[in-house]
Amino acid sequence: MANEIKFILNGQEQVYDGNLAARLLDVLREKFNLTGTKSGCKEGECGACSVIIDGKLMNSCLIAMGRVDGSTILTIEGYSETERFLALSDAYESVSAVQCGFCTPGMILASESILSSNPHPSEEEVRIGISGNLCRCTGYNSIVKAIGIAAEKGSGLW
Amino acid sequence: MVNCVTAHSLEEALVLRKNHELIPYVGGTDLMIHADEKSKYLFLHKVPEMKQIVEDDDYIRFGASCTFTEIIEHSLSPKILKDACSQIGAPTIRNVGSIGGNIGNGSPKADSALICMVTDSKLRLANSAGERIIPIKDFYLGHKKLDLLPDELIVEILMPKNGLDNYYHKKVGARNALAISRVSFAGIMDIKENKVKNCATAYGAVSDVIIRVNSIDNMLIGKTIEEAKELKDAYLKAFDQAIVPIKGRVGIEYRKDVCMNLLRDFLEINGI
Repeated sequence: MANEIKFILNGQEQVYDGNLAARLLDVLREKFNLTGTKSGCKEGECGACSVIIDGKLMNSCLIAMGRVDGSTILTIEGYSETERFLALSDAYESVSAVQCGFCTPGMILASESILSSNPHPSEEEVRIGISGNLCRCTGYNSIVKAIGIAAEKGSGLW
Repeated sequence: MVNCVTAHSLEEALVLRKNHELIPYVGGTDLMIHADEKSKYLFLHKVPEMKQIVEDDDYIRFGASCTFTEIIEHSLSPKILKDACSQIGAPTIRNVGSIGGNIGNGSPKADSALICMVTDSKLRLANSAGERIIPIKDFYLGHKKLDLLPDELIVEILMPKNGLDNYYHKKVGARNALAISRVSFAGIMDIKENKVKNCATAYGAVSDVIIRVNSIDNMLIGKTIEEAKELKDAYLKAFDQAIVPIKGRVGIEYRKDVCMNLLRDFLEINGI
């Protein structure tokens, strides 16, 4: 009953021997200093803490560390080094889809999650894809537009 | 001191469950809302028997740790279940939350449990001494009270394969995504050659447990559409008495009205 787990975090293997009941969100922020993952509601309602685990978008606030043994985790810090991120970043900038910015890391990873499974989504599919990520500034229209622009201009990346 | 353990087989999971006081952890989306670092979890996401979706002659068998996304994307999943699972939370929740957790949580608002109730699904429960298969209706004893022994786990959900195509499902929430049901309703009407072969209804988020009264639905089974129409008033009256809402975020009268409106709509759509 060894209490040690391993996982890949932003491309690097990590060994973790801390509390397996701890929230992934807190461990990312406090142990790994990955503060791009935002701590919002801590109850799965806001999506600010979204990360991609084994290719799926998840709320890191609702994941206990024991659940990520053997998993591959991508946070906004790891994603920001990719060409896909640049395409999304340019698109978000071009239509002012970032205002206060608190939802943006989660929203960008939600965008990646949509486009990686469906490179040319309909508006409806985009809206479903970001439905777990709340934004209190933009009213969503500019974010939906940005994802459409990224899909078009970044065609071939996804 | 070890506070959490991951099981890699059902056998290992059941021995751990018997010998230690551990909280079964499948998706974790309900458990982690009240995250406590002192919690002792039994992680079940690596137990192969609880991860698969397979079929036998009569049932589609869903492993308890299957996520809502896995169910939505699987070709064996009945459309009624995909429909309900697609309305749970948001992608972030559906990618993690599990059908076994939804049932084991014991909430009458559980959206996938509603479908298990209306389809008269069965649960395969196991402990280290053996296993038993029970109708899901018998599993719910009262508010958050389950027919589950301290050393038992929900291993699989057995959903009947046939007769689920003609269904009606409505989730009434305060918003489209990330909504908790205020009232939910599911109905199945299997009509063959102008006769009601099966009629089943279930009402979620209304009472302490999901309401399913087979004896009332049985009034219409075996009847022609014309005969069912004649029985309609008596059938509605029986449900009007059987549905006794409890007060929650929304009032008793509202819940009752919505249930009865949805039931009427379900009958009318089916020509009754």
